[in-house]
Amino acid sequence: MGKVFKYTLIDLARNRFVLGYALLMLALSQGLFLLEDDPMKAMLSLVQVVLALVPLIALVFTVVYLYDIQEFTQLLAVQPIARQSILGGQLLALATALLVAQGFGLGLPLLVHAPGPSALMLSLSGSALVLVFAALGALIALRQREKARGVGMALVLWLGFVLVYDAMLMWLMFTTSDYPVEPFVVPLAALNPIDLARILVMLEIDLAAMMGYSGAVYKSFFGSAAGMAMAGAILISWVLMPTWGAFRVFRKKDL
Amino acid sequence: MAEPRVTCEGLGKRYGELWALRGADLTFHKREVVMLIGPNASGKTTLIKCLLGLVHPTEGRIIVEDTVIDARAPQPDYRNSIGYMPQISQFPPSLTIAQLFAMMADVRGLAPDQLDDRLIAELGLDRQLDKRLSTLSGGTRQKVSAVLAFRTHPTILVMDEPTAGLDPVSAARVLKEAGALRDGGGTVLITSHLMEEVEALADRVAYLEDGALRFLLPMNDILERTGATRLAQGLPRLLEQMNEPRPTH
Repeated sequence: MGKVFKYTLIDLARNRFVLGYALLMLALSQGLFLLEDDPMKAMLSLVQVVLALVPLIALVFTVVYLYDIQEFTQLLAVQPIARQSILGGQLLALATALLVAQGFGLGLPLLVHAPGPSALMLSLSGSALVLVFAALGALIALRQREKARGVGMALVLWLGFVLVYDAMLMWLMFTTSDYPVEPFVVPLAALNPIDLARILVMLEIDLAAMMGYSGAVYKSFFGSAAGMAMAGAILISWVLMPTWGAFRVFRKKDL
Repeated sequence: MAEPRVTCEGLGKRYGELWALRGADLTFHKREVVMLIGPNASGKTTLIKCLLGLVHPTEGRIIVEDTVIDARAPQPDYRNSIGYMPQISQFPPSLTIAQLFAMMADVRGLAPDQLDDRLIAELGLDRQLDKRLSTLSGGTRQKVSAVLAFRTHPTILVMDEPTAGLDPVSAARVLKEAGALRDGGGTVLITSHLMEEVEALADRVAYLEDGALRFLLPMNDILERTGATRLAQGLPRLLEQMNEPRPTH
């Protein structure tokens, strides 16, 4: 696995998309901090950018990259190495490349302009989203043979997490507004990794107070150590489950 | 007597309702070149991919030397003996040729002195080692692919349309190398639509159609039976003979 990881990472280090991602994040982060006098306000804008952009880029890039090296993966699969090692090396390299690019583009400006626990939480949440959506991207690329359909599925999935899931939750809360269901419905947001990342960052920035009753529910749910541990466990599950699925598909897949 | 190297017993592969390959019983021997031919979608690539462990057979089994290859848990070790030159050569785009060669040697745990790198210079790649793979033409990528297939001293060499995209001189060099591998005791399987390029090299010809093996015959037999001098002439005659109804007594 180490050998596949090493050379895939060398390939990714020169990949224009990865370099472009790092530069884009750097431009956005730096731009927001330069435009806003208050670093906290800039960080709030950055949260929205990170929560929308990071999942999209991690998802689509993973799908496209895995399709593009499909023939090479075949060639590797003919060598005396186990399939798990091939996929493990490739996924690890993809995650590393995206995390390094993000560390450069997002982590560095945060460290310079707004060092502190909030910046750390934003960086960690962004990194978790990279891992979650790279794993989901791998699963899509391995399950779907056609590249165009794979990319389409990735976009639909991203839209689902970014827009549709929240819309459905809001509709649910609206239609059941006569009943005290908020303590039950609000935690459902945590099942969406993007929402979960948002909640964690908001709690760290202490914006929950501005979110009214929902914010209070979030705070009581995730504000404690046990709640944070649960949030971490949910995010880790979001990484592990699609990764496990991808390995399972790849082991049985006809290449 | 010819010693078997790869044996397929009742090999079959089904995709959904379609059998891409069915009931294939065939043996490939040491010191021979077998040419796999047949119309498009006849099962050639599926057969090759089953041998390589890329495709899991639906039925039957493959024995390489004395090892039965378990499709669900393929033992990667048997692949130490395999060289593969695929029809489409795509590599990680940002790696250089030299990095790719290093990677593939590394993956097999081979030191430079364990590799046969003669083809690198003979195919003119020695002057391009620092070029990124994304900048190479299709023909140059095929040359890279040929080097990768030969340099690990395989005893089983699988070549899928090896001359496609290669210039005539390089194509001849690659086929000569395949012949040398056979003469050294190796087993070479070649699929090619360009029969005239490969037939001089082939000891036997396997013909597949609709996922079934129609025949696996020595080249000389085919030419003798049909009175042809070239496979391209003899093949239609042989198929015609095989399709003729047998006389009833």
